[in-house]
Amino acid sequence: MAVRLARTMGWIAAAVSVVVAGAGAADIKTLTKELLPVPSTTGNEEMLAAKIRGLLPKGAEVEEAGLGTIAVRLKGSAGPTLILAALDGYGHMVSGITPEGYLTLDRPVAPPHARFDAFLLGQPVIISTAKGPVQGVVSQPAMHLLTQERRRTLVEGFSLESAFVDIGVRSANEARAKGIDLLDPVTYPGVLTELAGDQWAGPGLGLKAVAAGLLSVAQALASRGGGESAVVAWAAQTKFSARGRGARPSIGAAQVKAHWQPGRTVVVDIIAAGKGDGAPVPGRGPVLVQSRDEPSALRQALESAAAAAGASLQRLTAPDSPLSLPFASPPSEVITLALPVRFLNTPSEVVSLKDLQALRDILERFLEPGGTK
Amino acid sequence: MTKRLAAAILVLIVSISPAGAQSKAWDILREIVLVPGVSGHEGPVSHVIQDRLPAALKAERDAMNNVWFTIGLGRPHILFVAHSDELGWVVDKITPEGRVRVKPGGGILPQTVEARPVLIHTGRGDVPGIVPPRPDYDERQPPSSVAPETPAAAEGFDIFLGVATEAEARALGVAEGDTVTAKKTLVDFAPGLMATRAVDDRAGCAALLDAALRLKPGTVKGRTVTFAWDVQEETGLFGAAELAKTLKPDYVFAIDTFVSTDSPLESKRFAFLPVGGGAVVRAIDSSNVTPKTEILKVLAIAKKRGIPVQVGNSRGGNDGSVFLAGGAVDIPLSWPGSYAHSLIEKIDRRDLEALTDLILALIVDWK
Repeated sequence: MAVRLARTMGWIAAAVSVVVAGAGAADIKTLTKELLPVPSTTGNEEMLAAKIRGLLPKGAEVEEAGLGTIAVRLKGSAGPTLILAALDGYGHMVSGITPEGYLTLDRPVAPPHARFDAFLLGQPVIISTAKGPVQGVVSQPAMHLLTQERRRTLVEGFSLESAFVDIGVRSANEARAKGIDLLDPVTYPGVLTELAGDQWAGPGLGLKAVAAGLLSVAQALASRGGGESAVVAWAAQTKFSARGRGARPSIGAAQVKAHWQPGRTVVVDIIAAGKGDGAPVPGRGPVLVQSRDEPSALRQALESAAAAAGASLQRLTAPDSPLSLPFASPPSEVITLALPVRFLNTPSEVVSLKDLQALRDILERFLEPGGTK
Repeated sequence: MTKRLAAAILVLIVSISPAGAQSKAWDILREIVLVPGVSGHEGPVSHVIQDRLPAALKAERDAMNNVWFTIGLGRPHILFVAHSDELGWVVDKITPEGRVRVKPGGGILPQTVEARPVLIHTGRGDVPGIVPPRPDYDERQPPSSVAPETPAAAEGFDIFLGVATEAEARALGVAEGDTVTAKKTLVDFAPGLMATRAVDDRAGCAALLDAALRLKPGTVKGRTVTFAWDVQEETGLFGAAELAKTLKPDYVFAIDTFVSTDSPLESKRFAFLPVGGGAVVRAIDSSNVTPKTEILKVLAIAKKRGIPVQVGNSRGGNDGSVFLAGGAVDIPLSWPGSYAHSLIEKIDRRDLEALTDLILALIVDWK
């Protein structure tokens, strides 16, 4: 507990320094680059929350809900609305330290797909400790010593059972001396790759881009006053779903609903793209996702905002996601506006900057007074 | 206070001790490990190496990009050789959809670059790309049976550049024959302990360069010494074979990785030489059996100079073996390297500097 507190205080201090550095509106690219290296996995969202707080304008009314969710209330907006994005992404955490000083891993939540853990093999990782980041690598057998059979099965059979993180020490005590503790998040280094066609790639880039989009809108609208208010929220623990039969809503989203009781909600999410067969296409604009293809006031408002922003929209009918499920019961309205992400939930998520800018502009238009009419 | 003073004195003693005190091998390694040089395309790294050598050494460079210099006169003729090429791929073709297809091969477990950034080294500079994950990567359940080799294996793999047509890819400068390497990350575990791609064999190159820069020509008496940075080792020792046409050494010290099992996933049945334990004499590998008499000679020289050296057997070949047929004795020297042929090849500065010191000692003391 003390370690957790120390870490949180450290990051809050870092965030304060960012506030001092300047709280003017930054462009979406700069904000995305700022957020990309900040680790944020389910249950370990405090660093990203602190970073976002630090980038919000001075005087912004930051509110909190349980589990680490943060929100900012924007006055003078189009009406009482909740704009919700996730604060947490999929990732790993330290689950143990071997006597030789290697770290074992676990996940806080179920993986998004069966190959999620296999991407770790032979990769650099960052362990975010109370003492700061520690660099490591996920061990891999030397190619020269692998039999053909072992080589064939190594990746297909790779699991967290065979994932050991080497941080360059020889004992558990040395590992602890570097600050390693149980539950420390383990993530890929936030290295950005700038591709052709105004596309960027990086680990967890979709999550960070969406978070930056909301932040940019909050920066632009925070200084307005009067009128109704909207809440822009970044929710913690959205990848953790309620137990039980039937639909399993995100715990983080459910808590957001309980806290703010929104009448209408725009969930800003990420969606797999570029896979063909009717899937969203990167570069053709954000995706409006509804569980039923039927008109609604919220959908109309977002379509009007897109038209006003000169942005294209793609449309998709799909079941409610765990993030939108808590808001799906009448009379409340919910719709998802999703950023298309190629290679979703891999170490190299690819985002079109054109889509990201469009998503941000649509949200800004939507929240402006008159934007929902 | 007393403890602090003692620690300060200890640091001072270490910093002025002969072993590695003047070595710049570590800094050289961190620089040249980032220079591209896929087998058969070593031009950039060969240029850097030749450029760093003092003009007085009169380094030569052939059409293959082998670089070498020779000093001294008489017998024995001692050759130190490290290979400058690295593992990587070559662009085979560009698809109508603008994807770049690489040729099979590479020598790296291809799955470790799946969904990872790579760099295409074009005539107009580096072009970044992403190796797409296999099409079904996001299925919720694993395949019911162990799948055959992945798309990123025997048939080569594609690279996504962010473009949608062949013309757009070509407009970036990408062309058939360009080389491809994984985007390198220097992982610094601690000062003097790191992991990255291409430590094999840029560490060997760095050790030789450092030794060449520290070498006092006056110490080479009654013998001939050749330093060589050769090419195309990873694809078949071709650079060494070319050098062997003209160089007829009595002894070859090939400087290359010792494939160590100092890792949590490997049997310690053999090849367990700890990273940080000192330089290595490769007693037996896949291409050479070093005579015990020669191993003992190396150990004696190292002991005399206080240089930490380990002896082990492992797998993998070395360039020195090419010179065996010409009558040379091959005595491969190394550092203990974990995770060989991966993106995370690990090396300890102390081992590299011990290796450099050993090279310099052998130049003077080898008989």
